[in-house]
Amino acid sequence: MNKSILKAVVILLLLSGLLAIPRYVESPYALHMMILLFLSVMMGQSWNILGGYAGQHSVGHAAYFGVGAYTTMMLMHTKQIAPWIGVWAGMALVIVVALAIGSICFRLRGPYFVLASIAVAEILRLSAINLTTLTNGAEGILATELPAFKIGGTIVTDFLTKVPFYYIGLFLVVLTIGITYLVQHSKLGYFFQAIREDQDAAHSLGISISFYKNIALVISAVLTSLAGSFYGIYVGFVDPPTVLGLDVSVQIMLICIIGGMGTLWGPVLGSLVLVPLSEALRSNMITEGLVKIGLVNADSKIGLFLKENLSHAHVLLYGILVVVVILFMPDGLMGFIKQMATRRKQEAV
Amino acid sequence: MAVFMQSLISGILIGGVYALIGIGLTLIFGVMRVINFAHGDILMVGMYLTYIIFTMLGIDPFVSVLITFPLMFLFGGFLQKVFINRVLNALAQNQILLTIGLGLIMSNTVMLIFTSDYKILTTSYSSASIQVGGGVSVSTPLLISFLITAAITAALYWFLLKTDTGQAIRATAQDRDAAQLMGINVKRMSIIAFGLGSALAGTAGALISPTYYIFPQVGGVFTLKAFVITVLGGMGSVVGATLGGILIGITESMSAVYISSGWKDVVVFVLFLLVLLFKPSGLMGKSRT
Repeated sequence: MNKSILKAVVILLLLSGLLAIPRYVESPYALHMMILLFLSVMMGQSWNILGGYAGQHSVGHAAYFGVGAYTTMMLMHTKQIAPWIGVWAGMALVIVVALAIGSICFRLRGPYFVLASIAVAEILRLSAINLTTLTNGAEGILATELPAFKIGGTIVTDFLTKVPFYYIGLFLVVLTIGITYLVQHSKLGYFFQAIREDQDAAHSLGISISFYKNIALVISAVLTSLAGSFYGIYVGFVDPPTVLGLDVSVQIMLICIIGGMGTLWGPVLGSLVLVPLSEALRSNMITEGLVKIGLVNADSKIGLFLKENLSHAHVLLYGILVVVVILFMPDGLMGFIKQMATRRKQEAV
Repeated sequence: MAVFMQSLISGILIGGVYALIGIGLTLIFGVMRVINFAHGDILMVGMYLTYIIFTMLGIDPFVSVLITFPLMFLFGGFLQKVFINRVLNALAQNQILLTIGLGLIMSNTVMLIFTSDYKILTTSYSSASIQVGGGVSVSTPLLISFLITAAITAALYWFLLKTDTGQAIRATAQDRDAAQLMGINVKRMSIIAFGLGSALAGTAGALISPTYYIFPQVGGVFTLKAFVITVLGGMGSVVGATLGGILIGITESMSAVYISSGWKDVVVFVLFLLVLLFKPSGLMGKSRT
């Protein structure tokens, strides 16, 4: 009892802190980092529902991310439909796509499911490149001018600063985590986990496997498409590799694996590790840091080489992280922390 | 008719290289039940190796296969011993992620060293072709690479069927535990299988380097193609992978001619999904219970 009250208090404090940040922090860069963090948590958490809880490891989530991003952007660019209306169209379309994919892929298990999910995402990516009249092909869609958001004639925000994006992102993160919490603590969540642990046993207990797998997929896909739409609107640009590429699918999955699959806070933890690290590499902070400590001379050959190249290779870090996590903490950071905690408890006894 | 023959022949020729890639993947899967998502990246390493040997030592890519093959074998053996071996009994998704991670490390390390610029390896015969008659011509580098592929495949069949080690590898693929009980060193067989798989992928990379752009991200396309080929042929079946490779080569070149080159990969993936749905065991695979 006390523990759950404590938990609620901590979460409320955290939330009010996050709500207050834009009042005190004016640096657009800091807000940008927070928005990236929100986006990452959303992506990871959406995958978590299907991959972590229901145990269906899709490596094709870029499909839903891309469909959401593209639908919203296309409607805004060609039909001047405001993104907060376009988002709904994106989600509706994603439900159709997800059910189509589900009906194909859920007949397959294990590695075959993984391969099929990749194939579907690749078909969508290649279609986006080839359907030039609809998607503008490889050039992508650029639409940076957002209409002002009005309620009853008064302008709520005109999207000129990063603050509105910050609050939208925060809202979406709370929504995604909330939905995951509800799923985890409902009958639905237990069904998902039963399917994950033993499909055949779950089936023999009367759980309709393909029905619940599809439910998990739809929830996961809709939330992923929401993240995709938010990404599109925030960045103002989508093209096939950045929203539909295999890299996107892998990245979505990584957030969860590194944090810990099938746990509520795993994707948050994963994002807290991944986002700052990759940003530090991208913006050359690590090279500058090495120079400052005096490990590397800025004008030496190595220094110049690092400055030139390290920023391009932030994906290298992803690779190393995955290998380390899989080999040494296969249950992710959350699993690792729990393990440490139980070990400490045992030692105390 | 000439167009049809032309695309059929170039399909078969490129299919030979695809077969090599597919055989490598299917060997690894057969022996270890691990799907190697780094397969295309290993091929990419083979391409760069060939490129280095060509620019620094001036050795022709088709000759340098003799150097690339053993080097890539060692590389693959190293990957198996240090990384893959530790996850043989882990969950399937962890194995997949590990190989994805290894692939990312390979492509990004290569990018750090060579930058992401496209490299072209130009030989005297890169754009040469031979007239066969009836308006059909055959690209010389593709023809040579097909012949080398055929030779390597034949040697591989002989190795797997006739030698003791080959038989031990096949036994391990059939039933790992039973093979171990029969006194086969399954760990060694795994290293050899991964080494062979990598060597085949690396060789395929060497063989296509005179006709393809060389860049760090080239592997992704080939990883996906390798999956399609092996699933089409039946996971773990070497004969299936050979057939699958040729079939995919023909499908690609036919759909490039009769549909459009932009959509040819989509046709391949749709075919892949159809196979997964209606005959998941593949052309040559035994149905699983």
